[in-house]
Amino acid sequence: MFHKALWYQNFKQTRMIVGILLVLFILYLPFFIMLSIGSWQEQVEHFSQFPDSEFTLYEYEVYNIFSVGIFPFLVVIGIIFFAGLLIGVERNTRRMDFTFSLPFSRREIFMAKWLYGILVIFVFHLINFSIAYVILWQSEFNYALSFVNLTEIYFAPIFVFLLFFSFAMFIGTIAGEMITQVALTFIFSIFPVGVFFLLHGFLELHLNTHFLYIPEWVGKVTLFFYLFEITSQPINLFFPISGIILFTVLSLILYERNNIEHNGEFLIFKVLHPIFLIGITICFSLLGGIIVSSLAPWNAEMLRIISYWFGFTVFLVFSYLISRRLLRMNLTIKNK
Amino acid sequence: MKIKHISKRVHQNQILSDIDFEVKTGSIVGIVGRNGAGKTTLLRTMVGILNPTKGDVLIKNESIFSNPKLKENIIFVPDSSEALKNYSTKEMLNLYKGIYSRFDEEYFHELMDRFSLPEVKKIGNLSKGMKALFSLVVAFSTRAKYILLDEPTDGLDVIVKKRILKILVEEVAINDVSVIISSHRLDELEFMANDIVIIKDGKVEKHYELDSMKLNYLKAQVVFKEYMPEDLKNHITVINQTGRVYTIVFEKKRDELRSLIETFQPILYEELPISLEDIFIATLGGEDIVS
Repeated sequence: MFHKALWYQNFKQTRMIVGILLVLFILYLPFFIMLSIGSWQEQVEHFSQFPDSEFTLYEYEVYNIFSVGIFPFLVVIGIIFFAGLLIGVERNTRRMDFTFSLPFSRREIFMAKWLYGILVIFVFHLINFSIAYVILWQSEFNYALSFVNLTEIYFAPIFVFLLFFSFAMFIGTIAGEMITQVALTFIFSIFPVGVFFLLHGFLELHLNTHFLYIPEWVGKVTLFFYLFEITSQPINLFFPISGIILFTVLSLILYERNNIEHNGEFLIFKVLHPIFLIGITICFSLLGGIIVSSLAPWNAEMLRIISYWFGFTVFLVFSYLISRRLLRMNLTIKNK
Repeated sequence: MKIKHISKRVHQNQILSDIDFEVKTGSIVGIVGRNGAGKTTLLRTMVGILNPTKGDVLIKNESIFSNPKLKENIIFVPDSSEALKNYSTKEMLNLYKGIYSRFDEEYFHELMDRFSLPEVKKIGNLSKGMKALFSLVVAFSTRAKYILLDEPTDGLDVIVKKRILKILVEEVAINDVSVIISSHRLDELEFMANDIVIIKDGKVEKHYELDSMKLNYLKAQVVFKEYMPEDLKNHITVINQTGRVYTIVFEKKRDELRSLIETFQPILYEELPISLEDIFIATLGGEDIVS
């Protein structure tokens, strides 16, 4: 897994996205903290004109810089594409033929990719976090650091990034090509909550059942939830760390069993076809039901139920036909 | 290198069935078959790109699948250099040096000079012929013992083809490597291969040493008073017919066939020199059959 050639090959095929990730990390941490400090100084100045009021810095403003917000979300998108370029793109082109013909085991090939990715994310985050931390620490707002702890602003975000990377790599071991890998990573990152809403829509209409909150366990198994959650206790890092370990072990097992003759297709493992066919069809049918029933007046219950099943049936037919075609597609680039 | 009873199924289709042969050191093995016969799948399995459904590939009696390190002895040159088109020649050199412990940098530069190959920033910018030559230069510089080539001269001009064939023969003679070539160009294989493995429907239809293969078949031109009798047609392969003039191929060992031809009293019976292409047509079906 530490073969120089494999690392070089991985760098060569991902250097553009690595550059983009670096820029995103710079924007997310050092750049954003400088903007925030500038904004806070402006506010201090503004408040100084009013003797009765005083500028107050809240902890959520520190979280918005280090832990949550648009930049961590953009970084996660970058990380998913990064994983796509490490595995998925090799399947679209003939690069995997080259890689698998080399005198390395598949375990070594996968671990070189995984470690390379983990190291890039870890180092970029560490450097940019340190710079951002020092900038804030040296500013007049350094007291803001006392509002938060390291788990909240450093460990939780980095483990969430590594979790997304490991998950995207895991999806890469079952997806047949890059677009599928990226799309499935996004879909499965919100899947539990998505399914909850689809079932909720069904139950709400037919049984009049309402859930005010998403159950906690549904949130815990939905990756995108971690992007909007502040983790204060180190014990709560258990879920992302377990996810990283679980997805990496599964990835290793599946990558070794890679049938690369299915490269370019939707899925590598044909045994998953019926599961995906049924899953995609049911989810889209439920979605179709919700969309069409939402067009009916809210007080006309029977009409809403009829509309629901009309939408359900139409979406069922089309999603079944599209899914069948999707599962048969092949997106391998074969030019000479 | 031993290919032990390899079978491969893809999408419920049996692509390879019980392929079993051995590649001797210092030999050139031609893998011949019609389009879709499974030649490329066989080469990709021999280098461990594809996992066989059954069977194994052994080097020094050890499986390349359980010990991938053995693949230092094998290099696969695909029919396209798509995979590494964004690499510069220098990057390729460094990449291969890092992978193959026996990589011979001096030999690499020597071959680059001999074929007047320029150093470029992107392999993809080289002409098709230069890409093919460069792939071979890299392959030979790895000092791998088995070089697997998939259609190495496909789409190349005559001059490049000649250069490629020359370097292949030289390498086998000087460095005792074995070259396994899948090709449609039977005339080229005839010129250099020792062994021919004919693949039909994923199975080894014939495996011969080329010289003995030619001894096993007979090509003849025959003319009958009328058209060829149906009884005879069932036993021989007609590779060409012009009016009542037939060019036929049949297995030599079947002496009764010659007697059978004589019983129909041909006006002309003349034996002709046989080529690999004739055997290919005779073995894999008449020339009218397209796959």
